[in-house]
Amino acid sequence: MNSVLWVQFCKDKRSPLFILLFIAGSILATLLFAGGVYSPTTVAIFSEEENASEIEKKWESLLNVDNSFKFEIVDPEKARENVKDGNMDVAVMLMETDYRLVATSELPSVSYVQQHVEKVFQREAQISAIAETRGEGDVRSEIESYLADAPFQLETQGLDSEQVPKYNMSTQLLFAFTFLISMFILGLKVNNVTNDKVSGIWDRMILSPMKKTSMYCGYVLYSFLITMFQIIVVLLLFKYVMNYEVGDNLWLVMMIAAFFTFSMISIAMLITGFVRTPEQFYAIYPSLIPLIPLISGAYMMPGTITNPVLLFVADLFPLAHAMEAIMSVIFYDAGLQDVMMSLLFMLLIGVVAMGVGINLIERRSK
Amino acid sequence: MLETINLSKSFKGKKVVQDVNLYLNNGESVGLLGPNGAGKSTTISMISTLIKPTSGEIKLNGVNTIDKPGEIRRISGVVPQELALYQELSAYENLKFFGAIYKMTGKELEKGIQQALEFVGLEARQKDLVKTYSGGMKRRLNIAAALLHQPKILILDEPTVGIDPQSRNHILETVRMLNQKDGTTILYTSHYMEEVEQLCDRLYIMDHGKIIAAGTKAELLSILSTEDTIKVELNKLDETFVEQVKTIEGVRKVEASHLQLKIIATKGSNLISKLVHLAEQHHLQLINFHTETPSLEDVFLQLTGRTLRN
Ligand SMILES: Nc1ncnc2c1ncn2[C@@H]1O[C@H](COP(=O)(O)OP(=O)(O)OP(=O)(O)O)[C@@H](O)[C@H]1O
Ligand SMILES: [Mg+2]
Repeated sequence: MNSVLWVQFCKDKRSPLFILLFIAGSILATLLFAGGVYSPTTVAIFSEEENASEIEKKWESLLNVDNSFKFEIVDPEKARENVKDGNMDVAVMLMETDYRLVATSELPSVSYVQQHVEKVFQREAQISAIAETRGEGDVRSEIESYLADAPFQLETQGLDSEQVPKYNMSTQLLFAFTFLISMFILGLKVNNVTNDKVSGIWDRMILSPMKKTSMYCGYVLYSFLITMFQIIVVLLLFKYVMNYEVGDNLWLVMMIAAFFTFSMISIAMLITGFVRTPEQFYAIYPSLIPLIPLISGAYMMPGTITNPVLLFVADLFPLAHAMEAIMSVIFYDAGLQDVMMSLLFMLLIGVVAMGVGINLIERRSK
Repeated sequence: MLETINLSKSFKGKKVVQDVNLYLNNGESVGLLGPNGAGKSTTISMISTLIKPTSGEIKLNGVNTIDKPGEIRRISGVVPQELALYQELSAYENLKFFGAIYKMTGKELEKGIQQALEFVGLEARQKDLVKTYSGGMKRRLNIAAALLHQPKILILDEPTVGIDPQSRNHILETVRMLNQKDGTTILYTSHYMEEVEQLCDRLYIMDHGKIIAAGTKAELLSILSTEDTIKVELNKLDETFVEQVKTIEGVRKVEASHLQLKIIATKGSNLISKLVHLAEQHHLQLINFHTETPSLEDVFLQLTGRTLRN
């Protein structure tokens, strides 16, 4: 097993660029799509109604309630142009009581903006509905002061009695992209099994006194270590250099990441069981992997995907479980006990996929 | 020391190796000769325990190797037909890995690596990446990787495919040294008749999954001892002429290529005068002809009706 680890490491040492490029890629993707924490994404707003400036003013103050986005009034022409040229992902066209998004693609950031805007508009709709039925006085301030001091208050508290931090999409995207890249790295490493089988190196190992379990362990462990290396480097970088919010319980987060990595390696092994050549793997794997975060809702606010079929499919892959567990550790201070179910799920997926995968590989070589 | 008994293998119902019986005595050098797709690699994979036979037995000193592959794996080295090497690593690193999987470590491993490199003449280039090697050097390293654990039996599967004559001679010389100096038992697969003729004490000829002839070179040639091989060159060649040559009494086999005819006929069948006569009838001129001493190629042609290499 040690010799397999050593020889795989030698290969990567000879061409470290590959791994480094991947790591750089995941960092870049996170920065690009999630943005820095201290510079909230600016979203252009404009109106083309008759009383445009009035509408713009009203919604500007309502939309800018937290600092995840900065809504800015912009000339309609310019906003449209910016979106068209790709300078901005999205702009919001405002109406008296409604809005339209102006976007050219379905980037994760667009749906995040939409969720925020939708929430604000719905609340306003409710308030004005109440105002209409009551038909008197300053309903808004009444409702607001009522909400601020309601008879029944739902107070969410963390274990350390501090206010629960607000959900941060940047953090979620950080993990989504990091894991996306992890899946590529570990897949390419697992594919070395097929590579070495085709080249005949595998047969040399079979004929040697090395045990078959050691052989498999070598490949699996190497993929695991190199993937964990990538995850840890990226996490530490974002925590200490970019000051991203990754919670205080870094050990538990890494443990969940480790379960995820193992589980996903097993799925890669399962796919390896279905292919004959490394080229087939290269054809299948990279087209499958980007779908997993999409199905698992890793780019969207939790709860966005409601289709039961998609939810079921997502549960078959470890990503959904890992994301859920990590987000609850970071934002809701969940402990080991709380994420145990997710860990067990990933372990189960891992054990089953690994078992079936290795069986298929072995049957293939008969 | 090693023998196979009615060794057979089918892939999806297609018989690829059928009832192969062969044996290797200690210190012998044995060739397994056959055209592409004859089943040589499949036979070798069964002997080296990489694949299980569909039926039949393999015995090493009387012990069935199919149930107990440990011993044969320990004492044999296999040089696969493909280049089973890490192209991205140096020769030294490759050998270090292939030695390590045989549980070699430290000084023993280092000594083994240098010995193997020296044997195939690659010690000067050991730090270079394999992908920068020539085809012949890669082949040599492919052999070195099988020598690290000093096997008693060396099984080589077409170790000279696609390389220049110089590297080829180097490899043949290496194998001969292993056999004659170290007493390594050799099983050598090839579809080059000359190699096996040069290198092996005994050989098996295989075609379509079956052994069609076996013995020493002399024994195999004696198959042809009652025959003559005649090569005739004409100014023109036509089909009907070739057909009629085939009907001449005593002619066993005729092969036409370009303007040449290769004819195998029973000794003393007075072929030449008949040929001259026939050529005259067809208004053809005999430009050249000579009688050849038979080669193993001819044995193969005689046995299968085909030449070895296409
Ligand atoms: N794993 C396999 N599955 C199906 N058919 C196979 C398999 N391996 C070999 N064959 C078939 O068995 C036949 C013999 O193959 P084999 O590789 O043993 O021939 P060979 O004598 O080594 O030929 P070559 O000189 O080309 O190496 C071929 O027709 C090949 O297609
Ligand atoms: Mg072969």
